[in-house]
Amino acid sequence: MVRKYVKPPIVEAVCEFRLTRETRWDLTVPGLLYEELKASFPQKEQRMIQEVELIQEPEGLKQQIRTSERIIFFTEDKNMLVQVGPRLLAINVLKPYPHWEGFKPRIEMAWESLQTAIEVQGLERIGLRYINHIELPGQSVEIAEYFEFYPHVGQRLPQQMSSFLVLAEFSYADDRDRCRVQLAPIPGSGGKSSFMLDIDYFLAQPRAVKPEKALDWVEEAHSRVEEVFEGCITDKLREMFEEMS
Amino acid sequence: MLTLPRDLLQSFWLPLVGMASLLEPPRGSESVVIDIEELIERLAWKVRIENPNSIREYLLQFTGLLDVIPKAVDAAKKHFPEAQLIMDVYQDPEIDDRYLVLCIRLKDYDDSVIERLEKAEAEFLNQLVNKGGWIQLTTDFREPEGEGAL
Repeated sequence: MVRKYVKPPIVEAVCEFRLTRETRWDLTVPGLLYEELKASFPQKEQRMIQEVELIQEPEGLKQQIRTSERIIFFTEDKNMLVQVGPRLLAINVLKPYPHWEGFKPRIEMAWESLQTAIEVQGLERIGLRYINHIELPGQSVEIAEYFEFYPHVGQRLPQQMSSFLVLAEFSYADDRDRCRVQLAPIPGSGGKSSFMLDIDYFLAQPRAVKPEKALDWVEEAHSRVEEVFEGCITDKLREMFEEMS
Repeated sequence: MLTLPRDLLQSFWLPLVGMASLLEPPRGSESVVIDIEELIERLAWKVRIENPNSIREYLLQFTGLLDVIPKAVDAAKKHFPEAQLIMDVYQDPEIDDRYLVLCIRLKDYDDSVIERLEKAEAEFLNQLVNKGGWIQLTTDFREPEGEGAL
């Protein structure tokens, strides 16, 4: 059963499409997309993005940083944005989360606009990522009361953790998809205990989903993200988020 | 110091435990929230961050500043290598106007401070055009204080 909350902890949701290299892309694409999207995303901005590429080589990890330009279209209230970069389309919603019924049509609109502008040859990656900020009362909390995804610390270790990072990757659809889940405290939260729960469901096998099936994949990914989210939290958090009846 | 995912991604042992896929695919962040967290984490080495939650909220509203802030900090460091830098969100008490403040604090203030402030500001001011948000480089003429005070 799908649960909905009056106070969802989502601070951002992102749907990302990365296209394969065979897809022709040039500098006119952002302009063509803007023409399609400007009624809903009228504001434009430009950002330079540094991408970190980590390459595993026999002698160890090699890090390469490259810079690329990204054009961003915003809604009037700036709560939703579309990012366009070389062979990249990403649709973001910021808090307050408009629920899936509000986010999904924007994903569809942007994806269909991209297909109007260019011929998408293949998908390197699709991702649906939900970032939650969860604020708990007090500076010291018993994390197991709120989460079902947290670090287990044996009795012989100090029980007071100043920080941690829990990260796991789950496999779905015969390992075509993966879901990376991370939980970590947010530093500097002003006397409260705040945590970031990051759920990133993505296509792990490039080209395994055809462009015409991309939106079906996104719908399925959303269901998996919901399941994972519910699997990470306890009823105590559900009460805090106030489930809709 | 919190270990954030990027640090973990660079850990040497990931490939050894079959988590090499965490290193892939090569990409930047498409998440505004993650970009903000990474910026705050990087800034914390150079700048005393006051009210990080207010800064997070402000940057969520004015994401265009994510590119400008490192340049403003670098300019401030270049012209005031001896200063303590403090970042906060200023809220005008009378009108609905908020902006980021990057404040320098020095042990000694001499006549060159204003001129140096103007020179530092000139290095990033043009990048604020069409950004919506604003970052103001200034000083409150107080002495450095607290954690990271010189």
